[in-house]
Amino acid sequence: MLSSTTPHEPLLTLLQLCDSALPTGAFAHTFGMETYLQRGTVHDEATFQEWLAQFVDHQLVYADGLAVRLTAEACAAPGTGTGTGTGTGTGTGEDAQSGIDFLIELDDLMYAQALPSQVRQAGLTMGKRLLDIGRLSLPGPCLEKYAALVDAGPCHGHQAIAFGLIGTDHGVPATSLVSAYLFSTVTALMQNAVRGIPIGQNAGQRVLGVMRSHVTRAEARIAQLTLDDLGAVSPGLEIAQMQHETQRARMFMS
Amino acid sequence: MSSPILTGALNAPSTGHNEPASLARAASSSVENGTWRGELDLTVAPRAGRSVAVRQFHRGSLRVLRPHYLDASGQVTYAVVNPGGGYLDGDRYRTNLALEPGADLLLTTQSATKVYRSPRDHTLQETDVRLGADSRLEYLPDQLIAYRDARYDQVTRVAMEPSASLVLADLVTPGWSPTGEPFRYDRVRLRTRVSMAGRPVVVDNLLLEPGAHGLDGLGFFEGYTHVGSLLVIDPRADDAALADVRALLAERSGHVRAGATATPVPGMAVRVLGRSTPEVSEAIEAVVNLLRERWFGQGAVDLRKY
Repeated sequence: MLSSTTPHEPLLTLLQLCDSALPTGAFAHTFGMETYLQRGTVHDEATFQEWLAQFVDHQLVYADGLAVRLTAEACAAPGTGTGTGTGTGTGTGEDAQSGIDFLIELDDLMYAQALPSQVRQAGLTMGKRLLDIGRLSLPGPCLEKYAALVDAGPCHGHQAIAFGLIGTDHGVPATSLVSAYLFSTVTALMQNAVRGIPIGQNAGQRVLGVMRSHVTRAEARIAQLTLDDLGAVSPGLEIAQMQHETQRARMFMS
Repeated sequence: MSSPILTGALNAPSTGHNEPASLARAASSSVENGTWRGELDLTVAPRAGRSVAVRQFHRGSLRVLRPHYLDASGQVTYAVVNPGGGYLDGDRYRTNLALEPGADLLLTTQSATKVYRSPRDHTLQETDVRLGADSRLEYLPDQLIAYRDARYDQVTRVAMEPSASLVLADLVTPGWSPTGEPFRYDRVRLRTRVSMAGRPVVVDNLLLEPGAHGLDGLGFFEGYTHVGSLLVIDPRADDAALADVRALLAERSGHVRAGATATPVPGMAVRVLGRSTPEVSEAIEAVVNLLRERWFGQGAVDLRKY
């Protein structure tokens, strides 16, 4: 674990990971919001905030949010193969295998639960980018194991899992990781709304101000979920993401 | 036009406003085995050019009617019956379907499934499906009617060979109050997990909570009341089939809001929001019929009710 190198390591890791300039391609994805833009349902600060809250509560929580938590817990648990509790980041024997097996299963599930193909592709594309960035700039034993599994083929490479592993490698607690992931997603979507709707920069900041407490409640909900909840979604959000595939004159890739 | 997904024109049963849970419970003298209110096992295999049940088991409030052959394809059709009349709080049902290599089964229901108030617990339907090489399951049940405060979990686990074909339909409708308002059921969760070679390939996890969020909210029902879902996993699925399905759905865009997408393994997922059972079922049915014709040279589903 690298957190021993500096007391600020977890904080600085989060700042780097959540910087909206982190080149994962988040600026290209609205996760169905653009369909609502085209319908005219989302057209100003208030309607954007409504969509954003629903997206966080009824999709992001059950998918990426839960995946970050499960990843961080599996990785941080002492004795698991991907764990860093021993400071070596490597387990032995069956423990190591069970940790790796869980990562492979979670990676499969994250790919399998994203039914709208653009959402699935977004998780994959941003995941690959985050794995590359992590290896370059935030290396660690958990991330390296996952990246090797992606290289070798068993794993697809999902952004939420890569995020959870990088954070755990650098000593960030699971709850902070979940909140940070949710909030950085919210921030990226806000910036896309500023450009896409468009709304003003101040309006965007007001939305973030409201979403802070919202994200905190979402993190508390995620703490209560189980693997069976992974990928739960409500129909309206999902139909919008499916319809985006055939929308004319798109500005965004999802 | 008479398949179960289609026929449920009356989603308001005559006793709908009564929610006769206690009555149905009293009338249901079925076996209390302590765990399952109803159990059904069905194994289907091809024999001399047509599919037949080679093993059948049922206990409690689940059984199948005698099989039918609706066309010359050899596909066998079974209708599931729930003699208990509806799902009550705490009821748990278990179904196990095994299709041996080359088997072809069309499974439907005799009537709509009613889920009554579940204030204490919830009702659960678990289904395990095994699809052997080149087998095919079409599961086209009648609509699920969820009454006020109903909580229903449907868990479907499918283990299939990549050469097998799967069609799973669901239609969820609200029960109606005496004043004609749709009941806001508490929660319906339809969770399907498809695996191949032991690994999950598709997780379809639809969560409907009109009780908590209402029917109008952005992202949920968006002013609609009925939800249809169709999951198709088939090695024949390609971009051209998806485009044709989308065109079919687009023709209905004045009545329903629908989306279709390609699944992680060859196949497609379709979601439909509408305001009546016929609207939604007709859209789903049209997709099913298109794929039957395209991939199997079969005519439209024609499920006569026996």
